[in-house]
Amino acid sequence: MIYIHHAPIMVWHWVNAACFMFLILTGLQIRFAGNLEIISLEEALHLHNYVGFMVIPNYCMWLLYCLVSGQIKNYIPKTGGFFQKIKEQVVYYAFGIFRGDPNPHTITVENKFNLMQQKTYAIIMFVLLPIQILTGLFLWEIKRFENYIDLLGGTRIVNSIHVVLFFFFTAFMIGHIYLATLGHTPLAHIKAMFTGFEEVHEEEPTVAAEPTPASPTTDNKEETVMHHDGEIVAERA
Amino acid sequence: MRKGAYMKKPYIIVHLFLSLCLLLLTVPCLAIENDECMDCHGDPDLTRMESQGVKQNLSLDYRKFQYSIHNINGIACVDCHSDITELNFDNEVPHALSIKSVDCSTCHEEEGQAYSKSVHMQAASKGMSIKCSACHGYHEVMPGDRLSVLERENKSCLKCHNPFSLHAWLPQKETHFAYVECTVCHAPDSPRHIHLRFFDLVKKDFIDSTDILTSLGTDLEGFLPLIDTDNSGSFSAKEFESMVFILRKRGVHVTFHGELLSEHQPLIHQVTLGNAERDCQDCHLPLSPFFEAVTLFFNNEDGTVTHINVDREVLQTYAVSNFNVPGGTRIRELDLIGVALVAGAILGIGGHLFGRILTIPYRKRRKLEEQQKKQS
Repeated sequence: MIYIHHAPIMVWHWVNAACFMFLILTGLQIRFAGNLEIISLEEALHLHNYVGFMVIPNYCMWLLYCLVSGQIKNYIPKTGGFFQKIKEQVVYYAFGIFRGDPNPHTITVENKFNLMQQKTYAIIMFVLLPIQILTGLFLWEIKRFENYIDLLGGTRIVNSIHVVLFFFFTAFMIGHIYLATLGHTPLAHIKAMFTGFEEVHEEEPTVAAEPTPASPTTDNKEETVMHHDGEIVAERA
Repeated sequence: MRKGAYMKKPYIIVHLFLSLCLLLLTVPCLAIENDECMDCHGDPDLTRMESQGVKQNLSLDYRKFQYSIHNINGIACVDCHSDITELNFDNEVPHALSIKSVDCSTCHEEEGQAYSKSVHMQAASKGMSIKCSACHGYHEVMPGDRLSVLERENKSCLKCHNPFSLHAWLPQKETHFAYVECTVCHAPDSPRHIHLRFFDLVKKDFIDSTDILTSLGTDLEGFLPLIDTDNSGSFSAKEFESMVFILRKRGVHVTFHGELLSEHQPLIHQVTLGNAERDCQDCHLPLSPFFEAVTLFFNNEDGTVTHINVDREVLQTYAVSNFNVPGGTRIRELDLIGVALVAGAILGIGGHLFGRILTIPYRKRRKLEEQQKKQS
């Protein structure tokens, strides 16, 4: 068990997740007003604005903590073997995971993301999310930010960027939730995001990557098996 | 005698006709000319003391009057100040000291009727009289249909009202007030349309319509058939985009500035308070009635304006850069990107999950084999 997620990062993560859910739902209502009737457009707009403004300080807190605590190292790629590592990771998700091969990446405190995660998260956190926040801010009061909007080519362009990123984040969340279930148990990564502790095995048990079966009882059984398995591996190590 | 009497009848008719012509010719000579009025009222120092001791300026700037819509249409001073029928220069003041207020509805009958049903007229019952001149001014009445939203509002509503103190519920106040004329919501019975004005992306300024026509090497008459290739009488999105492309090839980088305005028709004066639209979804709809009429705006050299009909689908293109209304003018292609991204994610995950389920027996067998290997 290693402590990989610091408390402020966990708080940021879940606040951000809740905000994103609200933003996606209200964003859908705003985008498809007239076609969709989840809530009224007026409520959707107000909610979208309020929640949007929660994302900004939350993001700033995350950035500040990452810089101060050195967690930002997790987003900086280590030198050497970039293509080899990314190839290994792609091969693992495309083939290895089905064969029961171990995950080529080992989670450490200094390096908690595999290279694919690292790239994706770095692009999201340092490029896409700031762009989404900025375009969202501009669209909140178009007239107030008119000069900046004009620099970017007008409201239509700014809105298009915001909408495309909105679709991207929606797709990302779907993928993110699925990938979160690919730990050594389906709930392992999710639990770790609540407790901060991730169970690490030098050798990934082969049954680990099995998908969630329909009944929760089988789920529990498998977990015990794996836990037991994990202990054996640890003892041998 | 019979012959003479017979000859007399046409002679009388001719005589009467000539007399009538003479009379008609002399009438304008008798009418009071503007110049005569300006002899006194052109003097900027012409004032009079009112009963409360307030000085009232009685002069007017004739140059401004010359550009007014009334002068352009040949309306003289006494056409409005109709109780002044003659000037007697023997008196110090050549007309009555107190003259009637001008009643605009004598000519602008329909406007007067619409105004009588307005909230401004109702204010009269509270002792507040809001006359036409409060918005339109006195002698410098200008045609308003070539003005932008802000220019129109500065000349009228904003003189008395502060919209920011009255629309607590409205999101994007500044934006709404800048792009939507007050009367679009507050005179809901008045027809409205979206004006698209040529805007230079490089110079960051509006382009004069005549410059556009010069760039295209045509005049207003030739412009419509040049762009409207299917002769539908309205520019489709394709035709509109090809116009932008032609202009770009000729070095004019153009975009369109959209504004939602009321048409200058009498009903615009029927301003109501209670009927002010308050539901976002009245406007923000894919088939919103507010975006039904879209026109390309041309300000002609003679001061008139021309509106060329444009299909509403033009609002869903990148040619109109600033008029982006949630729900109302969204670009459909972006939704396709969204569908591709989300469906791609779902299908990818579904496929991956399915693959993992299918390969469970393989992994179990492999694990068993590995365990057996280790034990042996």
